[in-house]
Amino acid sequence: MRAGGPLLAQAAAPIVAVLAGGLIASAIILAIHENPLRVFALMAAFNMQPGSVASILTSATPLIFAGLATAIGFRVNVFNIGVEGQYYVGAFAASLAAFGLRGVPPALHLTVIVAAAMLGGLLWGWVPAVLRRRRGAHEVITTIMMNYIAFNIVLYLLGLVRDRHLGSTARIRTPLFPPSAQMPRLTPLLNALGAPLPSYSTLNWFLVIALALAMVVWFWLRRSRFGYEVRAAALNPPAAEAAGINVAQIQFVMFLLSGAIAGLVGLSDLLGRTGYFDIDFPKGLGFLGISVALLARNDPLGVIPAALLFGYLDRGAEGIQAFGSVPREVITILEAVIILAIVVSYEIMGRYVRVLRKQEAA
Amino acid sequence: MPLAASAIRLTVPILLAALGGVFSERGGVVNIALEGMMITGTFFAALGAHLHGPLAGALYAALGGAGLALVHAVVTVTFGVDQIVAGVALNLLAAGVSRFLTIQIFGVATQSPGVSGFAPFSVPGLDRVQALAPLVTGISPFVPAALLLALLGQWTLRRTVFGLRLRAVGENPRAAETLGINVYRMRYAGVVLSGALAGLAGAYLVLEQAHSYLEGMTQGLGFIALAAVIFGNWWPAGALGAAALFGLFEAVSLRIVTSSVPYQFIQSLPYVVTILVLAGFVRRATPPAADGIPYRKDGVE
Repeated sequence: MRAGGPLLAQAAAPIVAVLAGGLIASAIILAIHENPLRVFALMAAFNMQPGSVASILTSATPLIFAGLATAIGFRVNVFNIGVEGQYYVGAFAASLAAFGLRGVPPALHLTVIVAAAMLGGLLWGWVPAVLRRRRGAHEVITTIMMNYIAFNIVLYLLGLVRDRHLGSTARIRTPLFPPSAQMPRLTPLLNALGAPLPSYSTLNWFLVIALALAMVVWFWLRRSRFGYEVRAAALNPPAAEAAGINVAQIQFVMFLLSGAIAGLVGLSDLLGRTGYFDIDFPKGLGFLGISVALLARNDPLGVIPAALLFGYLDRGAEGIQAFGSVPREVITILEAVIILAIVVSYEIMGRYVRVLRKQEAA
Repeated sequence: MPLAASAIRLTVPILLAALGGVFSERGGVVNIALEGMMITGTFFAALGAHLHGPLAGALYAALGGAGLALVHAVVTVTFGVDQIVAGVALNLLAAGVSRFLTIQIFGVATQSPGVSGFAPFSVPGLDRVQALAPLVTGISPFVPAALLLALLGQWTLRRTVFGLRLRAVGENPRAAETLGINVYRMRYAGVVLSGALAGLAGAYLVLEQAHSYLEGMTQGLGFIALAAVIFGNWWPAGALGAAALFGLFEAVSLRIVTSSVPYQFIQSLPYVVTILVLAGFVRRATPPAADGIPYRKDGVE
C-alpha cells in the first residue's frame, strides 16, 4: 500500500483531469445544442486520418520544446512565463543566421542556426534571471514584460532586415533562407517505413531532436550530480541549502537553460515550413508550453505525451470546427480546464500521501 | 493639461486592477490572474452594456471578474494549489472563455458591436477656465469612482475590522486562526473582491475608451497592475501613486510618437519601466509575510 497506493494515485491524476475537462467541454457543447458524443466521435475519426496524424506530430514538435523549457524552470520554482518572448527572439536570431550565411554545408549551417536560436532565447532569459537573483524581482511579471518587449523589438529589427526586393507589397519578412538552412522532412523516411503520411506534411527532423532532447534532459536530471542537486533543491530548498547546495545558483542555471531551450521552439516552423521570418510568425506556443509542462508535472519525459495530447486536441479542434460546426474555442476551454483539474488533482493526491506519512510518523 | 488628462485616463484601469491585487495579496493570495479577470471584465462589460446600458456593463464586468476570481479562490484556498500555477491556468481559461462567448453571442470571434459608455460630466464652475478645460470637462464617472475606491480601500484596510483581519490572514494565518478568524473565508473575500475590481478595470476599457470589446485589449495591463501593487507597497494609497506613475509614463510615451524614436521602442517603455520598478531600482518593498503561501487548516503543507 505504501508504495503502490500513492503511485497509483499519481498515475490516475492526469486521467481524472482529462475526464473532468471532457465533462465540462460536453456541458458547453450541450449548451450550444450539439451532441457531445457525436462531436468527440467526429474528432476521433478526423484525427485517425493520415493527414491528421502528420499534423498532430507537427504541432507537437514545438510544444515538446516549449514544455521542456517551462518544465525545467518550474521544477526548481523558477516560473519562467517568458518562453513566449524567448522563442520569439530565438527564432529571429535564428533567421539572421539562416539568411545571413550563404554557401555553407547544410550540417554546419543548421548547427549555427540552432546555436543562434539558443543564444537568443538564453539572452532573453538572462535578463529576468539576473534581475531575480540580484534584485529579487519576481520573474512572473518581469518575463511577461519581456514578452511584450520582445514582440516590439523583433518587429523593429524585422523592419531593418526585411527583404526589400518584395517592393511595394506591404509584406514584411526576412529574405528567403537558402536550401542549406532547411530542415529535411521526415516524410520520405516514414513513407519508406510504410507509414502513409501525406507528402505535403511539413513534419521534419526537429521532432526527432525534440524527442531526443527530452530524453537527454530526463537522463541528465536523473543520473548526474547536478541533476541530483536540482532534485534536492526542488524538493526541499532549506534542506538542500543546509547540505551545501547553492539553490540560488541552481535556479539561475535552470533559468538560463530554460531560455536556451525556449529558443528552439520556433525552429521547426521556421526551418521546416516557412523558410523566412515574418510578422505572422506563430505566437502563443510559449503559453501552450506552460500547459504542457503542468500536465507533464514538470517531468521531461512526461512532456512528450502531454505535447502529443495538445497536438491531438489542436488538430481535433480544426476538425470539429470544419465538420461539426462547433467553435474550436471549446477545445481551448477544454485545455484550460484540464490544466486546472490536473493541478488540483495532483495537489489532492500529494496531500493524501503526506497525510498518510504524517499518520505513520505519529 | 492634455497630458495630465491623458495620464489620468491611462491611470484608471491600472489603479482599479491594482486595488484588486492589493486586496488579494493582503489576504495572502497572489493573483497573477488579474489579467484574465480584466479580460473577463471586458467581455462582460460589452455584453451588459449591449443588453442594458453602461451601468449593467459595469455590473456584469464586476460579476464576471468576481466569478473567475471565485474559481481562483476555490483552487488556491480550498485546494491549496500553487497560486502562480493556478493564475497561469486561469489566464488561459479567461482568454478561451471570452473568445468562445464572443463567437456565441456576437457572432464574430474578436470584437463586440459598439456600446455606449457613461455620460461624461464637467466640474461646475471650473469648466469655464479655458486652461483647465481638458482636466475638468468630459470626465468619465469612472475617474472619481476609482479615486474614491482607492481612498475607501485604504481606510478599509487600515481602520476597519475587515481590513485588520484580512491583513492578519496575509501576515500570519496560523496566529489569525488561533484568534478565531476564519482564514479561508477571509482569503475568499480578498480574492473575490480583487476579481470584481479587475473586472471593473476591464469595464473601463470597454465603456470609456474603446466603446466595444476587442480581443486582447487588456495588453498586459493586469500584469502592470501587479507591479503597481508591489511598487505601492501593498497599500491602496500606494497603488494609487504607482498607477498614476505608470499612467503618466504611458501618456508621455504616447506623446513622443511623433519624434524620431521608433514607435516600437516607445511602446515598450511601460514594460521596461515596470521591470525597473520590480527590480527595486526605484524603491524596495516588503510583501505581506504569508503572501503566496497556501494555508492548510490541518497543518499538512
